[in-house]
Amino acid sequence: MKRTTTAIIGAGQSGLAMSHELTLAGVDHVILERGQIANSWRKERWDSLRLLTPNWMNGLHGHDYKGTDHDGYMHVAELINAFDASAAKSGAPVRAETTVLSVDGTPGAYRVQTDQGALSCNSVVMANGACATPKIPAFASQLPDQVQSFTPQTYKRPAQLPDGKVLVVGASASGMQLAREIQQSGRQVVLAVGTHSRFPRNYRDADITMWLEIIGATTIPYTEVDDIERVRRTPSLTLVADETIDLNSLQDLGVEITGRLVAINDGRALFSGSLANHCAAADLKMNRLLESIDDWVDAADLTNLVAPVQRYVPTRVPTAPRLSMDLAAEGFGAVLWATGYRPDFNWLELPVFDRKGNLKHDGGVVAEGLYAMGLPYLRQRKSTFIDGACDDARALAAHLTAGLARSIAA
Amino acid sequence: MATDEKAKNMNVQTEIKTADNGVNVDALLGARAALTDAPAAAQFTWRAECDWKGGVHSRSTVKGFFGLGEEQAHNGEFTIDADHPPQFAASDKGATPVEILLSALASCLTAGVASVAQNRGIQLHSVRAKVEGDMDIAGILGIDADVRNGFSAIRVSFEIDADAPQDEIAAVVAQSQKRSAMFDIITNPTNVHVSVN
Repeated sequence: MKRTTTAIIGAGQSGLAMSHELTLAGVDHVILERGQIANSWRKERWDSLRLLTPNWMNGLHGHDYKGTDHDGYMHVAELINAFDASAAKSGAPVRAETTVLSVDGTPGAYRVQTDQGALSCNSVVMANGACATPKIPAFASQLPDQVQSFTPQTYKRPAQLPDGKVLVVGASASGMQLAREIQQSGRQVVLAVGTHSRFPRNYRDADITMWLEIIGATTIPYTEVDDIERVRRTPSLTLVADETIDLNSLQDLGVEITGRLVAINDGRALFSGSLANHCAAADLKMNRLLESIDDWVDAADLTNLVAPVQRYVPTRVPTAPRLSMDLAAEGFGAVLWATGYRPDFNWLELPVFDRKGNLKHDGGVVAEGLYAMGLPYLRQRKSTFIDGACDDARALAAHLTAGLARSIAA
Repeated sequence: MATDEKAKNMNVQTEIKTADNGVNVDALLGARAALTDAPAAAQFTWRAECDWKGGVHSRSTVKGFFGLGEEQAHNGEFTIDADHPPQFAASDKGATPVEILLSALASCLTAGVASVAQNRGIQLHSVRAKVEGDMDIAGILGIDADVRNGFSAIRVSFEIDADAPQDEIAAVVAQSQKRSAMFDIITNPTNVHVSVN
């Protein structure tokens, strides 16, 4: 069996950032990648996707954004190029086309079985992504035969969809962007809306994600957050490149909005009557964030140097959002499940899961020598941002190397 | 104030909370923590028994329920009379079932408002919920098959006097809906099984 000190699983922004840190610390390691570098960026994203964060925030570890459009939002293809350039420069030890089949063992002696042979190692870093498997409700199996199912991983472009109306389930960043793109392609979209967030793309002269950075909202440590489990379940920021996307702008384009999809019975999709409250909650949370920004501006004495305070029209809620639809009879050809993702740790054969099957971890430390990266609010809100991987890699690499020192001393 | 310190203060609730709405939030949070690790104890079954009293008058009785792993009893026996008004050629010895449902929704949301406000340190002075449900009785009378029996819409309007800005009060009301059993029961479908013994 081959030996290495640390096996990193996944060559995305997290895995490469960890590799960079371990190289600096002189820790022998390999990166096991089921496909190519940035695999899910290459294979599991739709054609038009651009990043939701401005370019200055999209630097890979040890490889800052080098272009000229600092405030732009790069296309995923440009990010993939950056990945390739960064990996070529660093010479990261990536074993491509190597799928992990199982991980077991004990701290200091983990066994990683891959389809290219086994590996024994002191520590394992699981950087295989938070968005491995779309979370689709069980009642999806009740869809009428003539209605096709898609997820943001299988959807590439509107032309790929069958004729007919499209039900987009979930008003996440993915759901809203895809609802917009599909509606603009000439199909009627109905968007089922549950808990969601709302942000202006720009506020008082700056990108909203820049404000989140400035006021410190992206870097509050997980240890200082009230009810971290709830925060980790909160959907990601609902944003799209270049402009504001919200339920008002989607309705302006003709998208019909209704409540959360709660069941499919005899071909009828049933929706919750709670749309108004979800919209009110999103508006209130947006206003609370804008108030924190305003407070920061005032405290920093910048009130007259940036654009004035602004508040936005409340989300327009239809008076009687539809509670049910006969999908086939009403001509729906497809349902797009933008209902979130879960990471895939099926190969992890260790007792590190809670009763709901979620990985238990303390800021990314799962057990001695066993780490996770890239999960929602792993250590801070930035943990799922491209450049957030750098901070987390530094913190966890420090823990990892300290562990190595402990095991040598012991 | 330094940037990160300021951000910290905005996100960590450090103020001392003295509100007293009569809700024992500590006990509720304690129960939440305990039940997180004991999911079986969180399984409750609620019950009511209903006896026909003649005409369309009935009386429901509530006394026991199952929860925390065993049978539980209320402090006493509660009864709820339901009837229909003279306009329905009935004896009007109680509220109609649909009015009882509206009051249940209002009570549930009001309990939520008190609890959430307590948890957020907001002192309440008065809370009144006005609930209205619209119904086309062509449904229940079988006049028009396209009209549903139940409400076509329900409106709840809160009047709240509390020591908090309007947006914070609105956030309390939003959260009470998010955690309300009745709001969920009314807004989402539930499988109902009726049997005859």
